[in-house]
Amino acid sequence: MSGLPAERQPSLRRGLLVWLLLPLVVLIPLTTALIFGLTLRPALDALDRASTDTAVALSQIVEVRDGRASLPLSEQTARALRADLVDETMFAVGDGDGQLLGGSASLLKLAPRMQAGQWRFFEAKIDAKPIRVAAHGMQCGARADQVCAILVAETLGKRSAVERAALLAALSGALVLALPLVVLAMLAVNRAMRPLSRAAAEVELLTPDRLETIDVRGVPREVTPFVLALNRLFARLRAAAAAQRAFVSDAAHQLRTPLAVLRVEAAQALATPHAQELRPALERLHAAAERGARLVQQLLALARADGTALDPTQRPQALDLAHLAAQAADRWLQPSLEAGQDLGFDLEPAWVDGYPVLLEELLGNLVHNAIEHAGPGARITIRTRTEDGRARLCVEDDGRGVPADERELAWQRFRRGREAAGTGSGLGLAIVADIARLHDADATLEPGSQGRGLRVQVRFAPRAGHGTT
Amino acid sequence: MHILLVEDDSPLAESIATAMRSRGWRADVSARGEPVPASLLQDAYDALVLDIGLPGIDGLETLRRVREQGSYLPVLMLTARDGVEDRVLGLEWGADDYLVKPFALSELLARLRALVRRHELRRSETLVLSALRFDASARRACIAERAIQLSARECIVLQYLMLKTGQVVAREQLTALVPGWDAATSDNALEMLMSRLRGKIEPGGVRLRTVRGLGYLLEPAAPA
Repeated sequence: MSGLPAERQPSLRRGLLVWLLLPLVVLIPLTTALIFGLTLRPALDALDRASTDTAVALSQIVEVRDGRASLPLSEQTARALRADLVDETMFAVGDGDGQLLGGSASLLKLAPRMQAGQWRFFEAKIDAKPIRVAAHGMQCGARADQVCAILVAETLGKRSAVERAALLAALSGALVLALPLVVLAMLAVNRAMRPLSRAAAEVELLTPDRLETIDVRGVPREVTPFVLALNRLFARLRAAAAAQRAFVSDAAHQLRTPLAVLRVEAAQALATPHAQELRPALERLHAAAERGARLVQQLLALARADGTALDPTQRPQALDLAHLAAQAADRWLQPSLEAGQDLGFDLEPAWVDGYPVLLEELLGNLVHNAIEHAGPGARITIRTRTEDGRARLCVEDDGRGVPADERELAWQRFRRGREAAGTGSGLGLAIVADIARLHDADATLEPGSQGRGLRVQVRFAPRAGHGTT
Repeated sequence: MHILLVEDDSPLAESIATAMRSRGWRADVSARGEPVPASLLQDAYDALVLDIGLPGIDGLETLRRVREQGSYLPVLMLTARDGVEDRVLGLEWGADDYLVKPFALSELLARLRALVRRHELRRSETLVLSALRFDASARRACIAERAIQLSARECIVLQYLMLKTGQVVAREQLTALVPGWDAATSDNALEMLMSRLRGKIEPGGVRLRTVRGLGYLLEPAAPA
């Protein structure tokens, strides 16, 4: 799918990921907060309860005699009540009038107004140290408004530790939840998308040459309609190609027989005794018949080169260009002799995977061109080689050659050079180019050796599955 | 030469038959394949020219029936399609050669001559080209009844060249024929042999051409 504008286009993958991950982004912090709160609250309550225990213990020590409260507290008991591994602990007991009965005076100053039996918990500061205070109001006298204040305070060491532990628990819980969820979401999306990518890769592999039906098995049900539509399109294309091939074949059949009559009759007329003044006309007739036959052959070759790629019944086969060239000798020797030329061969094995009929046509066009254009007395050589694992076919002559500025144009259909003599259609090299392209070969025109004449080279791609030796 | 031509397109059949007759050949024409096996039994033909696209049974089926009745007559197939399939099928089913329409008259006649010549050798063991005559069983060649002296190797090479008249014969094919020759030494030796042979047979109205880089070609000195 490369080459498409990736932005702006809707993406299934992105959509799925957004809808899966967006809730996670909201829900996971919420869960973390919840875990944090739920673990912290009981722990803090437990710590407060430890303070209330001390306060209750102190309340048991307060004595009320004659309406006056006192705190008969030994130094040891006071130490025991203050004992704590982590925090600094302090207490204060004051009577109903706010007089200190025992403990820390500065703590007592923090005492809030309380009813008897009431508990208050709050945070405060003593000497700039944050503390947590548990305050208890206790009836300590005859009057109902005589309420002693009992305060127990401790620094926040244990509470901070508890908070840290709770935070750690909440965060690790969130992490344990979030990481697998994110990873799983991405994996799931990728997994769901994989058949799509596979189907895309399969379509990618198709070339105009091989429009094969894509296997629907393994393709997700949602994508099947697209694949089926593609397959139907391919089938239509194949049918169109088949119709074209059938047309070419029928046209060939229909055209070839009358042309054969024309050729045979023209040759026969020339060979039969005839009036001298008829001869130029008969020769023109014969030449036209030959030319027509060749043109039809070439047009059909072009159509066939275009259609072969789409014809699933035609597969390239292994063949030796040297063998092909040697076979062509019978066909081309006579015409070259008649043109007063020396047709020679220089053949070494050159194996390619190709379509024999088309390669014959390619070679035929090259040799025909050479015979037609090189002129009398020319030396034409057909050469085959294998170099660096690439087969090469070369037809060289030492004739007139083609001017440098016309060489590229020569490959176009119906293009004929300024100097062109003969009766060529201008199709020969176009056919060569088409057939070469079909075989992944490059065809080039260059001057022959010593800068004279013309050399047409066709270099084939290295054969698949064969080493470069 | 007596040829049976099976072609449903009557203008083409007439053209070919006329051209053959003007060269002194006998040519019978049939537009269908069905009567061919029977005709071959009635008349002594030298070759059968068979179009593949026929009404009724096609050329391939006709060929199958001809071969089925045990005839070894040389068969040249004509086809209007130059796909490989028709060719391969034709040759597999026992055709000796094929030509794609629109063929040149000269090529049709040359191919037929070559086919008949090969067939002749199987039957009578005598090969003829212009005034040159080669008796394969006696290993003797003569030009217009005058014997020419040939070495054993020259005999082998000449017989093969005469069988393949009008066709290019590769050097390797010739050297492989000659006993005692190996690939390393034979190129030069073959050239010398061919040049001697050329001197001996060319007075008989034949031409032994060298095809540069490939091999040799024996043909009548003046094209028919």
